[in-house]
Parts: sequence; structure tokens; C-alpha cells
Amino acid sequence: MNLLTKLFLVLTVAALGYAAYEGLVVAPTEQTMGDVQRIFYYHVPSAWTAFLLFFSNFIASIVYLAKRNAAADAVAAATAEVGVVFCTVVLVTGPIWARPVWGIWWTWDARLTTTLVLWLIYVSYLVLRRYSVGSQTSVLAAALAIFGFVDVPIVYMTIRWFRTQHPSPVIGGGEGSGLHPSMWPPLLWNWLAFSMLAVVLVVARYRLQTMEQEVEKEHAHAALQGSPQ
Amino acid sequence: MKGIVALKVAYIATWVIQLGYIGYLFSRYKRVREEIKDLKRGS
Repeated sequence: MNLLTKLFLVLTVAALGYAAYEGLVVAPTEQTMGDVQRIFYYHVPSAWTAFLLFFSNFIASIVYLAKRNAAADAVAAATAEVGVVFCTVVLVTGPIWARPVWGIWWTWDARLTTTLVLWLIYVSYLVLRRYSVGSQTSVLAAALAIFGFVDVPIVYMTIRWFRTQHPSPVIGGGEGSGLHPSMWPPLLWNWLAFSMLAVVLVVARYRLQTMEQEVEKEHAHAALQGSPQ
Repeated sequence: MKGIVALKVAYIATWVIQLGYIGYLFSRYKRVREEIKDLKRGS
């Protein structure tokens, strides 16, 4: 681990600590929901980070299909896996927030359902990458990623297109929506901290992917040397 | 579930998921490193 990586790791831990302080202590208590609304400072940044990671996966998949670049394939694998982790946080914290506020854990409204479908698409992507055998795995995974990404803008737009149980958008939601100005710094701090954590995880997962690609190459090389002439 | 309990559960769940994933990455690193060592020994 070089000095720059160590420095970024320390900064990420510090940012996560400060962001938690902002969300739990500095942010004002919301009038209607009370303290449970502070889940917002983990739930929303996790969703934004997951969207960014799936977008990166979409771009890396296009690059891989166009150039058959192993590095692009490794980026795609890393961003999809870390994106699923953040999407899992969204799907777990959402019902925990919903229960005391809505009185139910889950409802099949457009936002919740499309988010679950998004998670299932990327879990399928990871299953395909892990268990498919053959030279076409990366190509199939890239194709699935490109089609699967279509669900991201749908998830984003559901609360604009449909009347849902889920609240209206924080940004660009029209009149009457939006956040109190004092809630913006905790939200943005948490998003910054979660994005930094995502970068750390993607870099670690990327390195692991390249190491696994090397091992696969070595195995293939050894198998060729050992095969009868 | 009361609001403050839900808040604590949500924060704990978030970190269990994130730290669980970090632990999973470490275990995979360890396995790949061992595999690389074995390959080097074999060649």
C-alpha cells in the first residue's frame, strides 16, 4: 500500500466519522418524524452512491464490449459488486425507516419495487460472472449490465412519474418539496464520505479482480503446457 | 418499532453490511494470495 492510498484511507475514515456526527448530532430533528428521519443521512447517500457505481459499471461495460479491455472488465466487476452492497444498504434501511413512519415495512409501490428489481438485476449480474464458465462470460455480463442499467433512470424517475408511498424527490421535486437548508450540509457530508468509501472498496475489489485474472491466466498456461502434443 | 430504536437498528445494519463486505474482500484476498504462492511454488 503506497502513501497516497494510506492517506486516502485515513481521510475516508475521518470523513465517515465526521459525517456520522453531522447526521446524528448536528442535523436538526425533523418536526413530523423526529429522530428516525436521521436514517435519511445514510439511506439517500447510499442510493446516490449505488446509482453512480451502476453508471460506472455501464460505462466500463460499453468500453469492454468496444475494446475487449481486461481492465474495463475488472472495473465493471468491481463497480457492480460495490454497487450491490450500497443498494443492499438502501433496501435494508428503507423498511426500517418505513415501519415507524408509514406503519408498514414494505409496500409494492413503484419506487420500492423498481429498486428491488434493480438489486435483483445486479445480483444476477454477479451470479453470472461467478458461475458462468467459458470465454464469453465477460461479454454476456457486459451485455446484461448495459440492459440492466435501464432500470436506474426508471428508479430515479418513479417518484416523478407516479404517485407513490415514497416521499417526493429532494432535488428538482417542484414546489413544496426540498430540504431545509440546515439539512443540506449533513446530507452532502454523508454523500462525500460514502462516495470516498465506495472509491476505497472499488479500488480494493479492482485489485482483487486483476489478481484473479492473473491466476486464471496462469492456470490456463499451466493446463496448456501439461496437455499432450 | 420506536423511532430512536429504528434509527439505531438502521445505523447498525448499514455498518454490518459494509464491514461484512470488507471482511469478505479480505478473505478473498487471502485465498488468491495463497493460490498465487502455490502457483509460484509449482512453476
